[in-house]
Amino acid sequence: MTTTRAVEPWTLEPLRRFVAEAGARLALLTTPAGQVIAQHGFTRAVDVMAAAALGAAIAASTAEINRMLDEPKFRALTHQGVRHGIFLANFETPRGSMLALVVYGAGSSIGLVQLFMEDLVRELAAAAPVREAQPRTVLAADFERDLNQSLASLFGREI
Amino acid sequence: MRAGLRAALDSITRIRGVHGAVLVAADDGLIVAEALMEGVRGNAVAALAASLYQRFLRATEAAGVQRPEFLHLQASQGSLLVVPAPSGVLIVAVAAADINVGLARLEMIRAAEAFA
Amino acid sequence: MSLVNFTTREITCKLVYYGPGRSGKTTNLQYIYQRVPEDRRGRMVSLATQTDRTLFFDFLPIELGAISGFKTRFQLYTVPGQVYYNATRKLVLQGADGVVFVADSQARQLDENIESMQNLHANLLEHGIDVRTLPVVLQYNKQDLPADLVLTPVELDEAINFRTWPSFAADALKGKGVFETLRALSERVLRRLSEAESA
Repeated sequence: MTTTRAVEPWTLEPLRRFVAEAGARLALLTTPAGQVIAQHGFTRAVDVMAAAALGAAIAASTAEINRMLDEPKFRALTHQGVRHGIFLANFETPRGSMLALVVYGAGSSIGLVQLFMEDLVRELAAAAPVREAQPRTVLAADFERDLNQSLASLFGREI
Repeated sequence: MRAGLRAALDSITRIRGVHGAVLVAADDGLIVAEALMEGVRGNAVAALAASLYQRFLRATEAAGVQRPEFLHLQASQGSLLVVPAPSGVLIVAVAAADINVGLARLEMIRAAEAFA
Repeated sequence: MSLVNFTTREITCKLVYYGPGRSGKTTNLQYIYQRVPEDRRGRMVSLATQTDRTLFFDFLPIELGAISGFKTRFQLYTVPGQVYYNATRKLVLQGADGVVFVADSQARQLDENIESMQNLHANLLEHGIDVRTLPVVLQYNKQDLPADLVLTPVELDEAINFRTWPSFAADALKGKGVFETLRALSERVLRRLSEAESA
């Protein structure tokens, strides 16, 4: 089953609507550094991260070329493949810059993706919550024990 | 805008009741050329009309009657007309409810032939 | 910058392997890729030239599991080591939570190590990252080569480790020191995260 998941819950509904209306097969919202905010269509979190890293790399290198040319920030890039198209957009939200990486097939078009991307950006701006105060502590003081166990199991060895 | 595209759009928009016309790339839903009244969202009309056309194309092909040659979508306050040109461009017109559909269709087919 | 989500209790951190060309950054990631079970790692993505030199970066996401109740993921990146590719190196460094500096222990590579270390400082400065607070560990790779070709960890510490960061001798090809390096950086990154949030 295809699922939509969000690390930042306020992005979930706007992304769901976008996917349904634009007919996207895969969609990713990330920070400019490639951290995943929300995704649709990927089955494994680690695959999402690879796509996010590549999307952020494309965005970063394009932004750098723009900077060299004294051009303002790029808004969108598209790649028309044989079976799939790829669309990468760069936009601002009240919670900072975001990237959207969208993969669409024959059931959609670049025109539709572009059109509903405008709605997505608007809906994200409206849905963004005021930055809430975060709990003061993240990790317990003895997190090293968990870390050691995790790394040991990861590498299949004793510490 | 290239003269040929402008002429094609002019031939449609001069019909009484036509509010505007757009040439749209059928595969990607992007505007090739447009002559629209203010307030009509050209990119939305282009993307959605192309999407509609692609769906109807699938339906007519599935029915074994080949590709659609004319779409007339009558809305409560006007019409959307679509004619595909052989070059992969769609000619889309936004019109009033009382439009002379026959005349508009004829002009749109002529414009499409000009693209062949 | 790491992404911490309190609702879904997830932490994602970006760790960057930095250092001069051919020092063994990609080899570190390849070793980790081989050793980590398939269900705990993603695809290793390498943007390399035809001769397998890193052009943009290598990328390997790994799932650490639960740490203090947070599902923790690391994104491991390498940068291209060659001087020529500084623009892309700078881009990869953006948002890094920690850096492994992989030095080539060969005596004849000393200048390259020093230059790369200076370049790391310059690029961090450009990103506005305070090098004094960023978790960094050093790895002295290729310590398996004949003793007359390589500098010892002590000599390398004196030459490039003026901030007295933790350093590890390694032979990344065989995996020696790879785990220890990653473990040391992971601990520092997570500790910093904990301290920053509780401050």
